[in-house]
Amino acid sequence: MKGKLEPSERQKLVEEGKNLKERLVTLEEDLLNLTDELQQEAQCVPNMTHPDVPVGGEDCSSIRKMVGKASEFSFSVKDHVQLGKDLNIFDFDAAAEVSGSKFYYLKNEAVMLEMGLINWAVSEVMKRGFTPLITPEIVRSSVVEKCGFQPRGTNTQVYSIEGSDQCLIGTAEIPVGGIHMDSIIPESSLPLKYVAFSHCFRTEAGAAGAATRGLYRVHQFSKVEMFILCRPEESNSFHEELIEIEEELFSSLGLHFKTIDMATQDLGAPAYRKFDVEAWMPGLGRYGEISSASNCTDYQSRRLGIRYRPESSIPPKKGKGSSTPTRFVHTLNATACAVPRMIICLLENYQQEDGSVVIPEPLRRFMGGLEIITPKIQIRC
Amino acid sequence: MGLQWCLSSTLKLSPLSILRPISQSTKIPLRRSLLVRALSAATVPTTIASAITPDDYRVVKAPQWKAAIDFKWIRENKEAVAANVKNRNFNANIDLVVELYDKLMNVQKEVEGLRAERNVVANRMKGKLEPSERQKLVEEGKNLKERLVTLEGDLLKLTDELQQEAQCVPNMTHPDVPVGGEDCSTIRKMVGKPREFSFFVKDHVQLGKDLNIFDFDAAAEVSGSKFYYLKNEAVMLELGLINWAVSEVMKRGFTPLTTPEIVRSSVVEKCGFQPRGTNTQVYSIEGSDQCLIGTAEIPVGGIHMDSIIPELSLPLKYVAFSHCFRTEAGAAGAATRGLYRVHQFSKVEMFILCRPEESNSFHKELIEIEEDLFSSLGLHFKTLDMATEDLGAPAYRKFDVEAWMPGLGRYGEISSASNCTDYQSRRLGIRYRPESSVPPKKGKGSSASTQFVHTLNATACAVPRMIVCLLENYQQQDGSVVIPEPLRPFMGGLEIITPKSK
Repeated sequence: MKGKLEPSERQKLVEEGKNLKERLVTLEEDLLNLTDELQQEAQCVPNMTHPDVPVGGEDCSSIRKMVGKASEFSFSVKDHVQLGKDLNIFDFDAAAEVSGSKFYYLKNEAVMLEMGLINWAVSEVMKRGFTPLITPEIVRSSVVEKCGFQPRGTNTQVYSIEGSDQCLIGTAEIPVGGIHMDSIIPESSLPLKYVAFSHCFRTEAGAAGAATRGLYRVHQFSKVEMFILCRPEESNSFHEELIEIEEELFSSLGLHFKTIDMATQDLGAPAYRKFDVEAWMPGLGRYGEISSASNCTDYQSRRLGIRYRPESSIPPKKGKGSSTPTRFVHTLNATACAVPRMIICLLENYQQEDGSVVIPEPLRRFMGGLEIITPKIQIRC
Repeated sequence: MGLQWCLSSTLKLSPLSILRPISQSTKIPLRRSLLVRALSAATVPTTIASAITPDDYRVVKAPQWKAAIDFKWIRENKEAVAANVKNRNFNANIDLVVELYDKLMNVQKEVEGLRAERNVVANRMKGKLEPSERQKLVEEGKNLKERLVTLEGDLLKLTDELQQEAQCVPNMTHPDVPVGGEDCSTIRKMVGKPREFSFFVKDHVQLGKDLNIFDFDAAAEVSGSKFYYLKNEAVMLELGLINWAVSEVMKRGFTPLTTPEIVRSSVVEKCGFQPRGTNTQVYSIEGSDQCLIGTAEIPVGGIHMDSIIPELSLPLKYVAFSHCFRTEAGAAGAATRGLYRVHQFSKVEMFILCRPEESNSFHKELIEIEEDLFSSLGLHFKTLDMATEDLGAPAYRKFDVEAWMPGLGRYGEISSASNCTDYQSRRLGIRYRPESSVPPKKGKGSSASTQFVHTLNATACAVPRMIVCLLENYQQQDGSVVIPEPLRPFMGGLEIITPKSK
């Protein structure tokens, strides 16, 4: 229409143009709707699964490793709630009044135990080359979703903040995953290995059942979390590295546990493969999960927009960026220490006949040298 | 980074407060407007849910809990109470409180009278009566009952109104507290002096950037402004400060605690905070009556809620570690850069429950502990006796510590120690039973009547402000930061944080 035209020709073109524009507007809207519908459906698709993962429900999970064995007691064992009561180190009743069920105060030596466990875990993982972090515990709900969690589903595990689009984190995996959101990481920076300490908040909606007594299932707890961002070809081996770190940590505390390769129905959406560690809890009379190590491959990174730029095989001109296309990193996360579950393990496994509890050697120097927690005669306080 | 950690001293076991930005120290009048007069007072317990009709702006919402306020005492000391309200620049209406109380007492008396009459009628109806007499009594009974129902309704309403008005009344004030605004606060103590630098000082944001120990940008993306990640040595600094503070206060006979950070909003209110006011400092959880704590003072205050403590147990002294969450709504201004004013932080808080006659001396003890702690880290600071307009509602007296922050070029609040006397305990229902002078029979409880305890709270360590102080005061010319000696054992022996090439 830029050229010289007869009026009638021009008129025809104007109409053609108008016609095209209307059809475009309609189609562009269809495009938007389709994009949204596609996203909605596709986001329901869980990650692919490692070929060695057993197919089926939780009874199909296989044991990768068994460490130690259940200690034998010559006396009647107590559970951690009873031990805690006798040692005056917990208060569940006051917490129920102040906050609701599944909350607790730690008192006296339990405070030292919590602080000791955190310091020990961070220290041990730092030794292995991880960068320590302390993270926000309030995050935008979009970040929660991008990590593969559901802030607003029924039975959601996520607490939301009133009057805002923010939530409380259930694990440091979320804010750590968010650090490199929408970024391109230079390949030479990979792998990035973080050890993050945070408090974690979980609604535990829909989690009824027997094991809700005491510290086993609570709304708020401290956790030290490991998080790795790496190149895709390395994620399987980093998964092995993470589970080995966990196994070393728990062995060093003298715990008896098994490492389980979780079956397909227990993986959740983001995990390509997941190893859980279940430790023996003599007071409960069964194994209880104390940690989980997941390889999420590119599930989270595709949502969080975390890419890396592989080094080009052609050396780049000085000052010019490489023109190799970017790829998505792989992300992994693993629990170094979930404090309440560890407290249960330590109290129940290290109890003595007189109700005192021995502190395993590696923790002592993180607890001012404390070797044993003993029952006290006291005015309850 | 193979650094070891340890708590070097043996932790002996025997036994935030409110930093300035929190709502109780905000001038209450700002939150009041005619329309919400009935609902938004200092510690109104009601939820501001439904709309107020224009011609009934004094709609009474039933408070969900009652404070055990000594109305009689207010009445007997009306002038002093009113003068105190004025000094604090609060909007409480003492005349109304007294008026409502008198009304309430009168209605109470009437109700009791009517009940007595009703009993008389009921008793008379037990005997042998003529049908016409019986009929008269029945009608009298009915009549009395109706009047009673009405009066009892009035009683409930009056009780609620009285609660609502009386809960606006701030605590009384220690006679030595200066009257006026923040420029009237007096300096109790000055420790140390500003360090002289032979080079151009940096603020903590610049220092942190060069040392690669903070990330504010990523936090702004993930969470919003005024959030942060701590990295590398800043993590060790935080963990070291917490361990050191807990350890030091435990040595002085305080019982260590970690607390829930989600609490029922009624507990927040009972401590003197406003979960649902405009410009509230308090985050609420969606779909529940719970909130995030802004200070461990709240869950610790809640531990002994609705209890009677044996006098022998007092004083109870706690040192509590928690994360704290504050909306910082309404806190605009220059000093919001970096770590100075943030939504989430770690704090070690001291809390004491004691007999009333001891609270002034425990207040001194708490401020001395704080001064010892901050001196031991080599900080330069001043302790202020806060003037009446800066006390907020619960505090009878409040000492703030402001430390010199060379990067900011001014003093910044690092702690606050408040004596709340019985303000919180009357709301939380915390009493003690004095030992009777007559030795009680074995197995029998003392029959001395209970009294309200006094509560005090004081910040042992608010981590981000301490990090600001340490970085800015201990910076070296090359950008490295020296760790003060008392912290080193709690940081695996780390002596200095150095810039790294990266």
